Amino acid sequence: MSRLDDLYRRVPALLMARRNLSRNKIRSGLAVLGIIIGVLAIASLGMFGTTLRTGASQQLGEIGNEITISPNFQEGIEELSERDVAEIRRVVVDSEVVAVRTDTGLVTRGQRQTVVTIYGMENPGALYEAQDGRVPDRLRQGVLVGSGTAEILDAEPGNTISIDGRTYRISAVLAEEQGISLVNPNNAVVVPVEDVNGTGYNQVIVSSESGQAANESAIAIRESLNEREERVNVFELQAITQGINQFFGILNTFLIGIGSISLVVAGVSILNVMLMSTIERRQEIGVLRAVGVQRGDVIRMILAEAGLLGVAGGVIGAILALGAGIALNSFVLDDPLATFQVVNFLYILLAVGFGIGTSVLSGLYPAWKAANERPVEALRK
Amino acid sequence: MSHIIELQHVWKRYDTGGEIVEALRDVDFHADPGEFVTVMGPSGSGKSTMLNVLGLLDTPTEGTVLLDGQDVTDLSDAEMTTQRKQFIGFIFQSFHLIPTLSALENVEVPTLFGDDPTARERATTLLERVGLGDRLHYRPDQLSGGQKQRVAVARALVNEPRILLADEPTGNLDRKTGRSVLDLFDEIRREDDVAVIAVTHDPQITEYADRTIELVDGRIQ
Ligand SMILES: Nc1ncnc2c1ncn2[C@@H]1O[C@H](COP(=O)(O)OP(=O)(O)OP(=O)(O)O)[C@@H](O)[C@H]1O
Ligand SMILES: [Mg+2]
Repeated sequence: MSRLDDLYRRVPALLMARRNLSRNKIRSGLAVLGIIIGVLAIASLGMFGTTLRTGASQQLGEIGNEITISPNFQEGIEELSERDVAEIRRVVVDSEVVAVRTDTGLVTRGQRQTVVTIYGMENPGALYEAQDGRVPDRLRQGVLVGSGTAEILDAEPGNTISIDGRTYRISAVLAEEQGISLVNPNNAVVVPVEDVNGTGYNQVIVSSESGQAANESAIAIRESLNEREERVNVFELQAITQGINQFFGILNTFLIGIGSISLVVAGVSILNVMLMSTIERRQEIGVLRAVGVQRGDVIRMILAEAGLLGVAGGVIGAILALGAGIALNSFVLDDPLATFQVVNFLYILLAVGFGIGTSVLSGLYPAWKAANERPVEALRK
Repeated sequence: MSHIIELQHVWKRYDTGGEIVEALRDVDFHADPGEFVTVMGPSGSGKSTMLNVLGLLDTPTEGTVLLDGQDVTDLSDAEMTTQRKQFIGFIFQSFHLIPTLSALENVEVPTLFGDDPTARERATTLLERVGLGDRLHYRPDQLSGGQKQRVAVARALVNEPRILLADEPTGNLDRKTGRSVLDLFDEIRREDDVAVIAVTHDPQITEYADRTIELVDGRIQ
């Protein structure tokens, strides 16, 4: 006896259900199609939301863990002092503090030249990674060149360049910053802080290990530096990322809500199909009852039919949704593998669950109706 | 008491919106194991109604139904279903086979819900006994009328009932085919000690019967 036969023997409702569905293949097929569309709508809209969110967070990078402190010009404060920086270092939690002195200048290498932003930093390693060469912990000599600048100058580590007349050896070319950054290195150079004119700092970047640490640091900095007067502006990028995440959360719920409507429509069509087929089979069900099949078994049989429609629609819908997700992600993110995320599988699972749930729910009334008809009535034509 | 089924003072009334139809009037009836009883009478005289009450498909308005000596008049739907499965086999005029199932599966239907490991074996044996051993996997639309009725007989017997109820079992068959079904009934009641109660207009059935009762206007004559 084959595995299927075995299953049918153990769950006879399934056998009856399977045969009944094959009786009118077009009708069953259309009911399944409804579920497929509903499941596909929910799952692929959910995954669409994930794709948007992934795209956006790629743009944003890790800025959620950064805070920026700048002097409050409205209070007449033009730069941050050594004392301010020391105070910031003292109060932050699990963070590295990078004080930045900014200027612009002309960079030349041989015949090539370009105007760039010059960042003076003591410890750029806290913010940047090298694409080529090495970023030292303490920058005392040499220069770090942003990827864009390096390309214009056709420069690589070991080359010498001159910045506003001063000559430097390149220690590293920095990795390209993909996301948003307040001290974007791509079209800049980073030099030792003493080499930039001035005594104070234009801004201080606090790079924390987590969003939580960034948040706590921001609170501590405000409390200590802005105690008497509003000396500094503390800008938390986390606020932006949180807002964006919230937005995508709402967007996703909305999209899934739209998808659910199509499932409700599918549910109504299953209700209709099941009702018609139980009315057509009135006499047969009467015979079943007459030969000793219990009410509960009739209910199980009809629910199994509805469930099978749901499972078929759910499985096909899930496969199509996965295909749609792969197509979407290779189109939008250029990364089809981005489809295989836990959230996406949760959306598919949710959609399939909804699909099967809707089907079974729609089968309840026809099942109840068929099971409660008295066999004598059903057998008399 | 040796009656396998008994009706005592059974009344069945239908309220058809104001007018009350009395389908059975004070019916007393019994059948013993191995007995072949036919029920005759004009159309509308209450024959099917009586058969439904005997088969626990319907409950009497008044009176008592005894099955194997036990009062089954007031059982719940689930209990009646269980009793039907255990004691009673039905054969209908229009066969009422399930079109999507094969002959063998149709015979198995009464055993389907519930753990019954020997059901397939019994169904196969029964189909062989009614002469359809070579048609096990045919669907009803691939069988002739007489063959369908024989599948229905096998289905009625699969749970080894004590009573076989047939409502015009030969009504849709020609004389010859009808006779072969009746021979089958005769064999069953002799060999298996099953009580056969058949409703009919067909006079040839009475040749097979031990007893014929006549219903007129819901009353046994
Ligand atoms: N559900 C019902 N509602 C109202 N009246 C009914 C119902 N069922 C049966 N009757 C009535 O009961 C009477 C007996 O019906 P029954 O079906 O038992 O007759 P019958 O002897 O089997 O007739 P036939 O030979 O035509 O099959 C008829 O007058 C019929 O109209
Ligand atoms: Mg009748």
